[in-house]
Amino acid sequence: MTESIDAWFAREILVHEEALVHFLRRCWPHREEIHDLRQEVYVRVYEAAGKSVPTAPKSFLFATARHLMTDRLRRSRVVSIETVGDFESINVLIDEVSPERWCGGRQVLKRLADAFDRLPDRCREVIWLRRVEELPQKEVASRLGISEKTVEKHVAKGIRLIAEHFYGGGGTRARPRQALQDAGKEPGHGQQQTD
Amino acid sequence: MASSRQIEQAAAAWLARRESGAWAGTDQAGLDAWLAESTAHRVAFLRLESTWNESGRLTALGAGQAPGAAPPRGQWSASPLDRPAPARAPMASAQSPTGGPPDLARLVFAPRGKERPARWPRLLAATFTGALALAGAGLGAHHYFYGVTEQASYATALGDLNRVPLSDGSGATLSSDSRIAVSLSRRERHIELQRGEAFFEAAKDPHRPFVVSAGPRQVVAVGTRFAVRRDGPDLRVVVTEGTVRLEASPDAQGHPQPTTLLPAGSLAIASRNGVVVRTGSVADAERLVDWRSGFVTFRDTSLAEAASEFNRYNARKLVMGDADVGALRVGGNFRWSNVDAFVRLLEQGFPVRAEAGADRIVLHSL
Repeated sequence: MTESIDAWFAREILVHEEALVHFLRRCWPHREEIHDLRQEVYVRVYEAAGKSVPTAPKSFLFATARHLMTDRLRRSRVVSIETVGDFESINVLIDEVSPERWCGGRQVLKRLADAFDRLPDRCREVIWLRRVEELPQKEVASRLGISEKTVEKHVAKGIRLIAEHFYGGGGTRARPRQALQDAGKEPGHGQQQTD
Repeated sequence: MASSRQIEQAAAAWLARRESGAWAGTDQAGLDAWLAESTAHRVAFLRLESTWNESGRLTALGAGQAPGAAPPRGQWSASPLDRPAPARAPMASAQSPTGGPPDLARLVFAPRGKERPARWPRLLAATFTGALALAGAGLGAHHYFYGVTEQASYATALGDLNRVPLSDGSGATLSSDSRIAVSLSRRERHIELQRGEAFFEAAKDPHRPFVVSAGPRQVVAVGTRFAVRRDGPDLRVVVTEGTVRLEASPDAQGHPQPTTLLPAGSLAIASRNGVVVRTGSVADAERLVDWRSGFVTFRDTSLAEAASEFNRYNARKLVMGDADVGALRVGGNFRWSNVDAFVRLLEQGFPVRAEAGADRIVLHSL
């Protein structure tokens, strides 16, 4: 049962991550909280799906995001007029947010390849040997002259970075540097990124 | 409580360990326990696990590569994999795979985000047909003498966009129904905005100012991003990066006109009566040039103003049937190509009745 929800979640929810993150960024003024919001949206969706799988996953995902933001706004003591205004204007229409559809095999591979190319050098090397050449971790370690533990760390990092681009779109197609900023803990500036 | 990033890192560590090859039953029990602790753990792990599974497809990249080391970056983009993603092209978005109401599904929210230059090829592909580039034929001795290195004019039809790369590394994006004449010489980069609106990304070159002229006025930049629009006799300048200088030719009596400096975030409207400058955030300024990605953005904008914005891009015009309807305030982010959806939403959410004709849609208040 859990397994089928997991598969459902990957197929119907994670594929909208890019659109979801765009939506959150658009509505939420604090950039540094987006990662956390995204996680909480996923938690709510996943838990709801455990009770009954939503029939319209995309709408459900965005409705969940909207409710979450509304809850947080109510909880926070200072409400920025700016946020509320913008948020409300979107309210009517958000169910029609178009999914970032990239499900075709080629699109998936292209996206993976892009994500792969964005990895830092060493990490990219490790992922190549592990995932493309499918060498065991031990052999990767001895080839690169590093410990197995280090290989494992590169794998962990690589998979996080790939996920960020593969599902999240990274928003960095031509500006890899931006990814570093996104990952950093810089203070939130404005509800929109300026460039 | 652990932050979402810490959870993600823990999930990645679990996954890497599981895939490392040394994984015992006790490890699995540890993972299971961790997953059972909270749904946050579970979704973080699930997300990375499915990325890992998908990444198995990367083996396809290994075909034809010498084993042992990763090839240099960027090899894949030249392959036939590199299809333009249809998701953002205005027309392709009509095919909503989820089968919502067919027309409304075409209404797409602009991802409010960074400029993504990679989008240009797609935009270009979508609009190229409508743009006609008139290469300057007169590259004769005369021009050579004055050091003219590039001369051309570019125009777009109603409803089209076109981004034109210039030889100095700058770029100009023409909005709907617009026309520019470009003349780059060794001393100056001169662009005449003859009609409509264009967004410029001026490459830095302190020795060659980048000058956009429109009628008697000039906008001078060194290296920056800004948009210039002709609105009847008025001129609108929006600066999203750097600083530009707005100048005007001396008036009929030969009096020099004041020069206005416009920093990033400025919106300047130059009319017969002078120049009004509003300085806001860069984000506000960016919103005014959202048309580049196919959107118009309104925030507490009068419907009359919103309609004239749509009308810049569409042959089918929105017309105000009465003053009341024009005074309604609207907000949101819309594809400018989808005026029908905009009208339908107005009818749903506002006291508005639309009377659709072949070449215009008249809006009446109820």
